[in-house]
Amino acid sequence: MSILEVGGLCKNYPGFSLSDVSFSLEKGKITGFIGRNGAGKSTTLGCILNFIHSDSGEITVFDKSFSDDEAGIKQKIGYVSGAVNFYPKKKLRSIAAVTKQFYSGWDDAAYEKYCKLFSLDENKTPSELSAGMKVKFSLALALSHGAELLVLDEPTSGLDPVSRDELLEIFLTLKDEGKTILFSTHITSDLDFCADNILYIQKGKIAAESPITDFVGKYRLIEYEKDSLPDEQKKKLIGEIRTKNAMRALIIAEDRELFGLPAEKADLESCMVHLEKESDANDR
Amino acid sequence: MTGKLLKKEFTLTMHPTVPIMLLLGTMVLIPNYPYLVAFFYVTLSLFFTCLNARENNDAVFSLSLPVKKTDLVRSRILFTGIIELSSVLFAAPFTILSAKIAPQGNAAGMDANLVLLGQALLLFGLFNLVFFPSYYKDISKVGVPFVKACVVSFALVAVDICLCYAVPYVKDVLDTPGFAHIVPKTLCLLAGALSFTVLTLAAYKVSEKRFLKLDIR
Repeated sequence: MSILEVGGLCKNYPGFSLSDVSFSLEKGKITGFIGRNGAGKSTTLGCILNFIHSDSGEITVFDKSFSDDEAGIKQKIGYVSGAVNFYPKKKLRSIAAVTKQFYSGWDDAAYEKYCKLFSLDENKTPSELSAGMKVKFSLALALSHGAELLVLDEPTSGLDPVSRDELLEIFLTLKDEGKTILFSTHITSDLDFCADNILYIQKGKIAAESPITDFVGKYRLIEYEKDSLPDEQKKKLIGEIRTKNAMRALIIAEDRELFGLPAEKADLESCMVHLEKESDANDR
Repeated sequence: MTGKLLKKEFTLTMHPTVPIMLLLGTMVLIPNYPYLVAFFYVTLSLFFTCLNARENNDAVFSLSLPVKKTDLVRSRILFTGIIELSSVLFAAPFTILSAKIAPQGNAAGMDANLVLLGQALLLFGLFNLVFFPSYYKDISKVGVPFVKACVVSFALVAVDICLCYAVPYVKDVLDTPGFAHIVPKTLCLLAGALSFTVLTLAAYKVSEKRFLKLDIR
């Protein structure tokens, strides 16, 4: 059974278009959805959850489309957003009481377990919680109804490093329990820590969909003096940027012999920075 | 699912002014006052509820629950209908009391009687028809739909006052206190109930279509 399949998704806004976005999710894996601000991550997630009306394309979740069984599909999805603040002046207890009645698979014991694990005081209101605790509360709600697919929209934005690490460990535990996670973020170090696959969106188009090791393994990072490379080598550089003491660029791993320079393995952040730089340069 | 969303409307979304405005049905006891305005206050509290929904990110919260997008429109309009009908029912005994304590009637528009209750239902139906289709076009803009609905509501109040002065049948038959001329007054109440039903259903149908096309971000 397919967990999530997106095919030919298009959405046009003035000044921005989501063009032919297609991808699928593997069961029991964490897929990192990366892209710079405004690349189309939240629009794509909005279309998946039917918050946003797509212009064209097919989205099937658990082999069903939203038009067939929107409520049934959502029973199996847990949505957590780091940015949105629901009912900030209502007690967590009241929000949970309303939420639980909608889910046939709601488990009170699981909810209590997560409240304890996350140190959530149900008598507090979201406005009294820190950014990390708000995410933990959303996560407790999502996990207490037995969601099989977790859609996380920038859940770690605004969190301190300790809270981020805590959350990432929780995601890894959930993966071990067989949950599928789609994790949108622009903090790529989070994905180095926990993601299996990567989905990279660039200006509304999917630029890469692959295991994270394959994606970063495709590239190498080199540093060189300004204007020290011949034109033939310059053409092979991807997203050249200036650093404090030299120039740095990404190259395709197979080309490293051509340069005869020390080439480091690239991490996800370097790949994204240089690929975005290259894309901006091509647009100019 | 609509029942559960309705419970959410009452426990999370409803603005605290809603029950207070419901109590304003007692305003029919004020001598010489345009009583339709008491029902306008109820629509004001419904506007506050929609404002409250926007400020609390209710659409994203509700849409992440296992419901259809259209369920959100149905539950909000159903919630509105329940509040509106409750306000008419709450005001009903006070219209009887008003006729007893002020038998001379009301000099500022319709007397407190069955016709007034029918007019209140018409006012609610018009409010729903003007407010909701405009609101569901863009739920982040609550003010403009309310201004449009206010124009229609106050036009109805003005027409009511003019008719009570200028049209002899209205002045002598409908605008009389208590249960005198009960048949035409009951017919007016029924016409109000029918218009409320038809206008609210039309509001729901148009709102549903518009909300489906709306992007919640």
